[in-house]
Amino acid sequence: MKFAAGLWAAQFRAMGSPCEVLVESPSEQRAQAVAEVVAACAARIERKFSRYRDDSVVARINGARGGPVEVDDETANLIEFTVRVHELSGGLFDITSGVLRRAWTFDGKARIPTDTQVQALLPLVGWSKVNWQRPRITLLPDMQIDFGGVGKEYAVDCALVEARRITDEPVLINFGGDLAVSGPRRDGSAWRVGVEGVTAPDASPAKLIELSMGALATSGDTYRYLSDAGKRLSHILDPRTGRPVEHAPRSITVAAPTCTQAGMFTTLAMLRGAGAEAFLRNEGVRHWIQREDADQDRSFSARE
Amino acid sequence: MDSAAAGVVATDMTNDDKKIGGALAIAACGLIGASAPTTSIAAESDSKWDIDSAFLYYGESDGRVKDASLSAIGIRDFGDDRKLSLDLSVDTLTGASPSGAIASDSVQTFTSPSGRGTYTTPAGEVPLDSSFHDTRIAFSAGWSQPLARLWTVNAGLGLSNEFDYQHLGVNAGLMRDFNQRNTTLNLAFAYGKDKIKPVGNVPLPFAQMGDAVDDDDLASGRGADSEDKDVLDVLFGVTQVLGRHSVLRLNYSYSDSSGYLTDPYKVLSVVNPLTGVPVSRTPAPGAEGPGGVYLFESRPDSRRKQGLYAELRHDFSGKVLDLAYRYSTDDWEIDSNTLEARLRLPFGESSYLEPHVRYYMQSAASFYRFSLPNGAPLPAFASADARLADLDAYTVGLKYGRQTAGGNEWSTRLEFYHQAAKAPSDLLIGNQVGNAQMPDFNAVILQFGYHFKL
Amino acid sequence: MKNLSILRIVLVVTAATSIVGCANVQPWEREVLARDDMQLDAHALDSAFDDHIYFSKEGTSGGRGFGGGGCGCN
Repeated sequence: MKFAAGLWAAQFRAMGSPCEVLVESPSEQRAQAVAEVVAACAARIERKFSRYRDDSVVARINGARGGPVEVDDETANLIEFTVRVHELSGGLFDITSGVLRRAWTFDGKARIPTDTQVQALLPLVGWSKVNWQRPRITLLPDMQIDFGGVGKEYAVDCALVEARRITDEPVLINFGGDLAVSGPRRDGSAWRVGVEGVTAPDASPAKLIELSMGALATSGDTYRYLSDAGKRLSHILDPRTGRPVEHAPRSITVAAPTCTQAGMFTTLAMLRGAGAEAFLRNEGVRHWIQREDADQDRSFSARE
Repeated sequence: MDSAAAGVVATDMTNDDKKIGGALAIAACGLIGASAPTTSIAAESDSKWDIDSAFLYYGESDGRVKDASLSAIGIRDFGDDRKLSLDLSVDTLTGASPSGAIASDSVQTFTSPSGRGTYTTPAGEVPLDSSFHDTRIAFSAGWSQPLARLWTVNAGLGLSNEFDYQHLGVNAGLMRDFNQRNTTLNLAFAYGKDKIKPVGNVPLPFAQMGDAVDDDDLASGRGADSEDKDVLDVLFGVTQVLGRHSVLRLNYSYSDSSGYLTDPYKVLSVVNPLTGVPVSRTPAPGAEGPGGVYLFESRPDSRRKQGLYAELRHDFSGKVLDLAYRYSTDDWEIDSNTLEARLRLPFGESSYLEPHVRYYMQSAASFYRFSLPNGAPLPAFASADARLADLDAYTVGLKYGRQTAGGNEWSTRLEFYHQAAKAPSDLLIGNQVGNAQMPDFNAVILQFGYHFKL
Repeated sequence: MKNLSILRIVLVVTAATSIVGCANVQPWEREVLARDDMQLDAHALDSAFDDHIYFSKEGTSGGRGFGGGGCGCN
């Protein structure tokens, strides 16, 4: 672990992102214990819910070929959470939308799928096609679910709960930009978090946010896009049409009590494309949105 | 947008009115458990100024130049990549510096730069002319902002003032990013206009140092009370990210100076053309003045320089190596090579040590002379300023820095500088061969700094 | 001859690196490069002092960028 400016810092990789744990403690041992508990939590959740792993619950569900799969309490709770968000968002948020990835490859090149290709996948998308009766979930053959939109944030919240179980000291958990703090720092001051800006290689973070309580989530990956006749198509797909959301901002950061909530807000705002600002303003959550204009690379809008 | 999408937008409108935050909070609580936090407090950090300030002391050995300086650079971020940078510095200079005259076996007397007094140099020592207590103030301001996607423009102006020198300059530049901002090209221009107002007026080229005069009079061989100098600089640079841990900068620079480029206080000793011993002179009856023949130097009125600069920054797990090389060549035939390295070593709680070495090597100007032989025709230009001779210098130093809990930084730096000049042997005459004393020196640099946000 | 040879070197290197592209580091991989101590202007104040000292004690100046102004010392 490294020590700098009063904080013990541990770094590791999980869920495809650089992760870090900061503990404000005079004891390296205690900080080490916290870091281990957090890393274990991240590893456990990745092993359980990653769609890339053959031994995950998600792989089991996706490979059931039309048959029912019985899941445990934690998975059931997560499913029910995503169902609730699906309802609250009018169908915009849908964990079955992953199959659309087969048509859309976001690597900056111009490989736009045809309408036929997209239409072919739409029958496999839509939570209404899933039979969910706790604790059993049944997908249609070839349907897929993935918790990519909620997994990392959920992991942060879980890890924080675990960390608070073993220590009262100030802790910050950051999984690739989705982060949460246990409370303010020892001297009452806030944690200072730099939000990545979409700027030049040698520029410092675009915004410095002071977080005393709660969590921040950022929907980043702002360079995953496709170019269609010069127009940038974002990588956020609308599950109802199978096409990229138009006018999606380059990046959204939201502050909320838990990372899961913050993550949901960023995802739902992204899915609303041009309506992202209005949505977040209406919800009354602290947010920072970066958009790409025709002339300027970024224009920042931050509202209460 | 096709009709299906339009339908989607219509639905969106009605959903917008209902806030989902509360329901979402309840759902999240159900997911994470009763111990889930229920509030969030987040605010934008409102520190806008980033200020780096330092006090520097520079002191040469043997009663030579000493300088104390106070400097601060403040950068104000206005958001959206628009930045204002302000730089203010004040320094005071005292001590003596070599006049260009050579050492002699007997005591030497000179007229002081103002022409209104005299000073002497003991036998066997390189003559140093007593500099003045001089205070210099310099100020510069710069602005940079994006011009369009991937383009940044910057502009600035600078001015400085000391009692015998004034400078006014403007600069502007354009930068463009490529390769997902892994490459940046930079083109910049600067233009400066300087005014030199030497004490006792500008000496005429090769004028002979005359006797001291009274306060209101002008010493002999003096001309206008001021001269001008123009400098045009062009810089073309590339910054290239080499990998996740390294970045390289490459600059080509071109500089064109014209006008008065001579040092108005420096002289050359006139010596016997066979023995190399300084020629002597007797002041006028009743007057005080030089005991030898000393001529004020004269440099060309134009200088064109080109330079190549390369800098590499490389991180190895928290340690940062900064390596820089500069090659410079000009039409005065001064060619130089500079190699510089710094290694930042973090340690302990938020501290670091940074050793630093620099090596500099230069070849003499075409018109550099150690002395002038009596009776020979004068060259077009000549200067005995050791700074234009063959020169080797090295610096070794160590910097220590420590971060405070609030993210500010205290630092201190101690460096030693050693400079050794050499007169090219073909310039030495008679006794001077093997005996040419150059005003070599050592200097100490001590700096205390504080970097903070306001 | 000397006049353009340096410029030519820089232009060739510039063209080479932009063609080869070096390793294009993605924005989400920039955490090291974004550190304060990795910025090319990290020592701005120290460099300004040093440049001023060396400008007045040696025959060459500049190269890194533009200095803050002239002085009556070289």
